[in-house]
Formats: sequence, structure tokens, C-alpha cells
Amino acid sequence: MSSSTRERVLRHINTVGLLQPALHQATHAPYPDTIDHTLYRAYTRGVHDVGGEPDVPIQWEEKEEEQWELNTFATCECLAWRGVWNAEERRRRQNVDVGQTVYLGLPYYGRWLLTAARILVDKQYVTLTELVNKIEEVKKRHEQNSSR
Amino acid sequence: MSKIHHDRTHHAKKATNIGDPQCFKGEAGAPKFKVGDRVRVKDLPDLFYTRTQTYPRGVVGTVTVLVYESPAPEDEAWDNTDKSEWFYSVKFRQKDIWPDYHDLYANDTLETELSERWLEKA
Repeated sequence: MSSSTRERVLRHINTVGLLQPALHQATHAPYPDTIDHTLYRAYTRGVHDVGGEPDVPIQWEEKEEEQWELNTFATCECLAWRGVWNAEERRRRQNVDVGQTVYLGLPYYGRWLLTAARILVDKQYVTLTELVNKIEEVKKRHEQNSSR
Repeated sequence: MSKIHHDRTHHAKKATNIGDPQCFKGEAGAPKFKVGDRVRVKDLPDLFYTRTQTYPRGVVGTVTVLVYESPAPEDEAWDNTDKSEWFYSVKFRQKDIWPDYHDLYANDTLETELSERWLEKA
């Protein structure tokens, strides 16, 4: 295993620590009696239900779709036409099942793409082994053809 | 767990050339509410999935349109489309939803769609 792999692993571990949901108290494996009804409800709510949450203003910006975003949309529509999911199942998976950190942290179409891969594995259209092998193959091919 | 012998094309077969939610028309039975009825949004458990926002719960509004019949999101999100129910467009006063809403804008309203299970007679 090369040292760049270890660097990547350690960078990942340090980054994960920064992504903890922002409840400003110690939360690692709490005792059951420290979770009251209010906290239970907050933890189990659908994370897409942000209406009325206190937040700071953000700048509104127009953004054109990028090619990979259009491809992702078309892929997800094809999955619906072929009955792999319906629109509501797609929304549940990409807006709620991903959890708060991913919901707020990844780009909009990043969640679409991640969810499209997930449903193919969940419903056994591909195995996770097949998916991982393909990602690794494409990554290697890309590394050979790209300066990055 | 998948349903036994589940046909994944069942929705396409049903909705092709008709549309969704039009393909569920006539499945929900008699609507419980009519246009003009005063209704209150229930605060039901929202474990795992719902599209009923938290902020209008417990607030009274007025039914403006019976919009369509469809399986509720809570069921459809797991591809259970056997039971349909009525969806209502309900208009609320913004002042009734947000505690700090200014009196200057007392006429402001907010309208949103809710399925029948979330509504009770006010």
C-alpha cells in the first residue's frame, strides 16, 4: 500500500470529524434517558423538511446545468420509465434517506447520482462488487488519460 | 422486502397515455372535505417519510381546491400504490403559521397541498 493511500485515508478520517451534525453537545452513543421527546423527534424527522428552521440568508444564484447533471437526470428518468423506482421513492431516497449531513453537504445532482447507484444495488440490479469494480476500472482509465 | 411476484412495470402500464396522478382518478371514494371547509393539519408521526411539512401542523386553514386522487407519499415512497386518497389545496394565513409575522402583512396567505389523512374538521 503506497503512502499516498495512507495520506488519503488519514485525510478522510480527519474530514469526517468535521461533518458531525451540529448539535452542540457531546453525542457519542448517548444513554437512552438523555434523549427526550424533543430530541427524538428532531433526530427522526425527514431532513428535507427545512421550512421555518432558523438560518442565515444565502445568496441566490442562477446556475446552468452541467453535462453530467443532465446525464444524471436522464439516467434517473430512465430508471423510472423501466419501473425501478417512482418519483416519490426517488425523492425519499435522495432527500431523506441520505441523512442531514449528506442532504446539506452534497450538490443537488450529486445526491441524484448517488441515489441512482444506491437503488440499483438495493434492488439487486447490480451487485456492490460489480459497481465497485467498475468505479475502480474507470478511475484507473481516467488517471492514465488525465493530468489530475 | 419486495412484494412477491411484484411487477415493476405496474405503474408504467397504469399511467401510460393517462398520466400520474390522473391514472388514480376514482380510486379514493367520496372526499371527506369540500371547498370552503375549515380544516386543521394533524400532527401525525412522521417517521421515515412524509411530504407534510411540520410548520403548518395544528394550524387551521381553508380548503380551496380538491386537486387530485393519489396514493399518499408515505405509501408511494415504497411503491405501495394500492390505496389512493384525496389531496386538498389548503390556504392558511401566514400570521397563523409564523409567530412573529408582522401585523402589517395580515392579509398574506400560504397555500399548500395535503393528503386527507393529515386533515381534520376545524
